[in-house]
Amino acid sequence: MVEELLFFMEVLVGGLLAGTMYSLVALGFVLIFKASATFNFSQGAMVFFSVLAFVGFMQDFNIPFVLAFILAALLMVVVGLCTERFVLRPLMNASEDTVLMATIGLGYVLEGLAQAAWGVEVRRLDLGIGDFPVPWIADNLKLFISALDITAGLVAAIMIIGLFLLFKYTKIGLGLRAVADDAGAASSIGIPLKHIMLLVWSAAGVVALVAGCMWGARAGVQFALVDLALKALPVLIIGGFSSIPGAIIGGLIIGAVEKVLEVYIGPFFGGAIEGWAPYVLAIFFLLYRPEGLFGEKIIRRV
Amino acid sequence: MSTSTNILNIKNIEVTYDNVILALHDVSLKVPKGKVVALLGANGAGKSTTLKAVSTMLASERGKVTKGTIEYDGTSIEKQNPSQMVGLGMVQVLEGRRCFGHLTVEENIIAGAYSRKLSKGDINQELEKIYTYFIRLKERRKSQAAFTSGGEQQMIAVARAMMAKPKMLLLDEPTMGLAPQLVAEIFNIVKELNQKEGVSILLAEQNTNVALKNSDYGYIIETGRVMLDGTAQSLLSNDQVKELYLGISKKGRKNFRDVLKEESLTKKKIN
Repeated sequence: MVEELLFFMEVLVGGLLAGTMYSLVALGFVLIFKASATFNFSQGAMVFFSVLAFVGFMQDFNIPFVLAFILAALLMVVVGLCTERFVLRPLMNASEDTVLMATIGLGYVLEGLAQAAWGVEVRRLDLGIGDFPVPWIADNLKLFISALDITAGLVAAIMIIGLFLLFKYTKIGLGLRAVADDAGAASSIGIPLKHIMLLVWSAAGVVALVAGCMWGARAGVQFALVDLALKALPVLIIGGFSSIPGAIIGGLIIGAVEKVLEVYIGPFFGGAIEGWAPYVLAIFFLLYRPEGLFGEKIIRRV
Repeated sequence: MSTSTNILNIKNIEVTYDNVILALHDVSLKVPKGKVVALLGANGAGKSTTLKAVSTMLASERGKVTKGTIEYDGTSIEKQNPSQMVGLGMVQVLEGRRCFGHLTVEENIIAGAYSRKLSKGDINQELEKIYTYFIRLKERRKSQAAFTSGGEQQMIAVARAMMAKPKMLLLDEPTMGLAPQLVAEIFNIVKELNQKEGVSILLAEQNTNVALKNSDYGYIIETGRVMLDGTAQSLLSNDQVKELYLGISKKGRKNFRDVLKEESLTKKKIN
């Protein structure tokens, strides 16, 4: 009995921690959704682009780890800058759908650029953190939990705290929340939309880089990272598109649910339900709580 | 009126939306420094369009000034954008209040100071000053703006605009949907801001009576044209205004243009 419970705990904790990896990807979507009310289809490409550049700097130019990371982060700020200047600004007064389509195009451009610059083969990313159970935890708690999962959890926690502080206590954070509520009113009182866009896209780029590092370390830096972003969709539906805590909790739920279901119910379906179980959960949320757990309810005075 | 005493001078502007829809045909108006000017007219007459042309917010609705000029504080506004206009001291309070619903009342007001480089201390000082005009908002400073009443939201919108330290305010239907008592309260605040802070005001209103009573000068526009203008006093006692906009009439309802037509017809007959 005790062993069964331990096994369940292991599955659950493993799932939760793996979920933080989804949270990291979802975080990037939330940032952009908050500012431009658009689902950024290029987020997956940004993950791929940023981490491939990071690995490329290290492996092709022998740049040390930390410096390469900073360079890649700066590169994502430049990508944000270019996106604002060449995609968003010309579409400033266009409808949200138009911007949505533009992000799909942007995704292809980033994918192409990344592969043109760094090649198409799968690269290994070594963060110096192994994807194997931590011996200390395995010995003392009898739980087998991957060190990479724990790191991802910590990184996600740090990022959410950082972003929370940025939004709550800085001037530009206030500006961002104002734009998220009513972009027209924000510009009427002199909040420059382009600064906010620049901030959001750069922040989303850096978040993409961090998420890419975690996933790249686990699965290798490869084109499949682009599709990984799709996993963020159920996360966002459950957590709410406009909520940062929602992205985190949504990721945890998806991570835990898919692992638990896979282990306990999977065998009845012949396994591999991990792939679609999150989407089923997302459908239930769409039916009964479309704004997600933490999404901002649309407040209307009646 | 010479140009130097006018903070705003609109000359014969024409505005089109989407390059085809002609919203303003020919509007000219002046706002003298430190005065309150009312822009009156029915729905769709072009009041909001005129204000947006001035604040350069037209572009975000695919509108464009296709003819005429707008001079603010002695310079043309042609090449400006909304945040530059705020920097120059011209702030528009949009129609429908448009508060940031998820922000608290106080955050809403502080957001108004975004364009100014102020320290935390300066912001608090400015806030206290603003609260002396909007006492009601001070009590509600911590509530979420979306859950405040319509009157309070209007006050938030004006307070927010005042935080940008404007020389000129554009108010688009500040009393829309408010109870008469609140209408009076809002106008009292507007008057007070005008007198104590020296802010020039151009306000668009459908509430002709209250607007004229609180203004120095008035313009009446209909289907994108200025039909009549004059001092607030003269408009209040004008028979046509009385009949069409104040509802004081012996005959049935009439369109303003019909009245003018009748007038020219009677003139022709006399001639």
